[in-house]
Amino acid sequence: MTTTVQRIPAMPKSKTKKQEGSFNARQLCFFSAFIAPLSKLLETPSLLSQYALGDLLLPTVLQYLLQSSALAVLLFILSKTGKGFFTLVNEKLGNIGAKIFYAVLSAYFLFSSLLPMIELEKFSQAVFYDTAPFAFTFTPFFFLSGFICVKGLKSFARITDICFPLFLLSFFGIIFMSVGETDFESILPWFEFPFSKIFDAVKFTTSHFSDAILFLPLLGDYRYEQGDGKKIYFSYWAGGIFVLLFLSVFYGIYTTIAPAQHYAFTKIAQYFPALKTVGRIDLIFVYLLTVILFFANILPVRLCVLCLEKTTDCKNKIVLSSIVNAGLFLFVFFFNKYQNTVFELVTKTLWWVFPVFSVLLPVLCLLLLLGNKKPKNRTRKNTVKEKNYAR
Amino acid sequence: MEEKLLKNLDENLKILKELLPAQDVLTYSFETKDGVACAVIYADGMVNKQLLGELVARPLTKITLNIKQNDGGRYETNEVQAELQEFIKTTLLFPELKDGTEFSKLTDEILDGNSLLLVDGLDTGFIIGAKLLPVRSISEPPSDVAIKGPREGFIEDIKTNMTLVRKRLKCPELRFETLKIGKRSNTHVAISYLDGISSQETLQKIKEQLQKINVDCIVDSSYIAGFLAPRKHSVFKQVGSTEKPDVFCAKIAEGRVGILVDGSPIALTLPFILTEDLQSSEDYFISPFMASVYRGIRLTALFVALLLPALYVTAQIFKMQLLPLGLMLTIAGSVQGLPLSPSLEIFVVLLLLEILKEASIRMPKYVGMSLSVVGALVLGEAAVSAGFLSTPAIIVVAVSGICLYTVPNFVETGSILRWIFLLVAGSVGVFGIVLFVAFLLYYLVGADGFGTPLLSPFSPLTTQDLKDTIIKYPLEELPKRPNVFRSKNKTRYRPNKTDSKGQEQ
Repeated sequence: MTTTVQRIPAMPKSKTKKQEGSFNARQLCFFSAFIAPLSKLLETPSLLSQYALGDLLLPTVLQYLLQSSALAVLLFILSKTGKGFFTLVNEKLGNIGAKIFYAVLSAYFLFSSLLPMIELEKFSQAVFYDTAPFAFTFTPFFFLSGFICVKGLKSFARITDICFPLFLLSFFGIIFMSVGETDFESILPWFEFPFSKIFDAVKFTTSHFSDAILFLPLLGDYRYEQGDGKKIYFSYWAGGIFVLLFLSVFYGIYTTIAPAQHYAFTKIAQYFPALKTVGRIDLIFVYLLTVILFFANILPVRLCVLCLEKTTDCKNKIVLSSIVNAGLFLFVFFFNKYQNTVFELVTKTLWWVFPVFSVLLPVLCLLLLLGNKKPKNRTRKNTVKEKNYAR
Repeated sequence: MEEKLLKNLDENLKILKELLPAQDVLTYSFETKDGVACAVIYADGMVNKQLLGELVARPLTKITLNIKQNDGGRYETNEVQAELQEFIKTTLLFPELKDGTEFSKLTDEILDGNSLLLVDGLDTGFIIGAKLLPVRSISEPPSDVAIKGPREGFIEDIKTNMTLVRKRLKCPELRFETLKIGKRSNTHVAISYLDGISSQETLQKIKEQLQKINVDCIVDSSYIAGFLAPRKHSVFKQVGSTEKPDVFCAKIAEGRVGILVDGSPIALTLPFILTEDLQSSEDYFISPFMASVYRGIRLTALFVALLLPALYVTAQIFKMQLLPLGLMLTIAGSVQGLPLSPSLEIFVVLLLLEILKEASIRMPKYVGMSLSVVGALVLGEAAVSAGFLSTPAIIVVAVSGICLYTVPNFVETGSILRWIFLLVAGSVGVFGIVLFVAFLLYYLVGADGFGTPLLSPFSPLTTQDLKDTIIKYPLEELPKRPNVFRSKNKTRYRPNKTDSKGQEQ
């Protein structure tokens, strides 16, 4: 049957509820399990082994206990209120209070991204080049960062779906290549070293493990449904298990010289016997993990821009992103020779900032529960069906 | 100027001549048995003159119409007019016959290839669908060759294309909605979909986009694709295309909307997802295992095509560890003494490849052999012997070129991306390649078209739809249509129930 279209009437506006939130539970789980661990695979293994030597798994477990507890608190708050954090903050603190809150958060995210940026710059120079590259080779990274900061969080949510197979393939690829050279007995016996060393390891690596605070803006517009909390919590621990496995293999290969092995995930597979014949194919996995590492490192910058948007009510993300990334570029350019100074400042002098934001602040968020009525139990069955499946 | 037909034939012809002064618009005049003047106006070369003569003129010359003028020169009343119109219609017995009174519509019909019959005394014209447009025969499309499976391809005639689709989807749900686009070309465009299966929201958006197109001339479906693309400056394809009716029908049956354009053998399908380009129609005619293997080969070939030249350059300039020692020494020996840097060398060879490709498409067939010789021997062998280029560079570019053609729908995008990877690799090295990969991934996950993410079903992850992306499951294990197209009717395969003895119930 052939009909001729005469005039197209305008489509009536959708009567379904506007979809809230950029992330869904699956994407948060993927973020917890496959992106968050990346920041612990670069310098953290050498740091942990420097302070705790063979007991490096213990401070890791302690860090994960702390962070997962803070995460559990955040998820508990959402489960009780049924609202995203942005809504809760705006309701409880009012307009001015909320702006101050976001301003402080944006300052924290900017501060927390300083050391990882310098580490990433050094990493790129050491791993991607045989000889010292020229000074501006790291500059393109800020274009990527700027681009990601301009895009909505929905894109970051979707990139977690891509990182899932990338991480599994590359992580288990390098583990497979490394496990043949690993002496697992080197991490035994546990509790060999005094607790003060373990505590030092926890204290001075806290900047690398502060993940819980990252969830706060990611859960900003989240629509909590029953069962999400457990999934996200256990996914975070799944990421922790990946990190523990990695640390075990790492220390099992390098043992006492582990503290000198920076950029750990580039080093652990290099003794795989086949590499002598076929070349450094482990670098394929390293590069895939690096892609994920970029996203992991850019997330705090993106969240900084998000919080700045909320503070200034500026809708022009390009301006905010340009300012933040230009600032980071200048910081990296001028301070890359002072990595040790920055390291000392962030991890030793100002180490306390990280537990304040990643542990204490989520606990303080419990105050947001005051006065909030417990909503009807939201299950997957009784929520409004999302017509648009795509997130 | 008059808007509607008059009763006087001569005046109507005069007006039509002013509206259509082109010399290929002809008038065939004749009379009925009782001397009433008739005229058929048509565009020369677009009508079946034999049909006009046999089925229009001949029957009319044998009838009497009794249209008379009274003393005042006035014709019969409207009631008699209606009877006369019916009488003429039943006399002609033409399958495609409609009437019209407005000059604008009648001239459009003439220019469309229909014929216009005017009778002196009637203020209604009869539009006769006696088109005979020059079209080529149906043949296998050159861009999508299948060893197994149908060999028919679309041609430039939209009616034939609609027939090819109708032949394969013999159900009342198949709809064609036609419209004309192009102020001067008035190109027929047919939106094709399965009612109840295609998403109404997507369909509505497509219709709205098509209605907004305000351009002089549409000569090919690629014009429409350009207007429908959500991101005008993206290097990535955003509208699916095919020359094969079986592929077109399969895509519509999955829930997409198809667009046929008169004058173009390439049909469009929307929404588009990137994994479509990795699939071939032949994947559905061979065993699922082999289809999965071939898809894996295509994906690997795509990565090789995009990254091999870049990695070759970066391995020489920035990171020799990428290559095994023996290979590194061989390459080092080959590139010794070359006047060009590795990135410039690959750039020159890639440019030569693109020039050869372009020239082989444009040149007459007679000189094709000569150019192959020139390209292969002179540019390849001689350049290496002269020390301008190295053999590894030629091998790398040749392999990359061949690999890119395993995914023919991705060639244009792949060529551009290959250049960008080369540029990035030559300037920043592997770090640049990794950064660019991260950028591409981030760009693609955010690229939606008509509500459908481009990287579906990988992002957002839809496990059910993954069964027909890289890995191909048997059809029995694909009972549901892809979720990504948000079809209301999700079931496409209903397994027959059998009892324990294998008998159908």
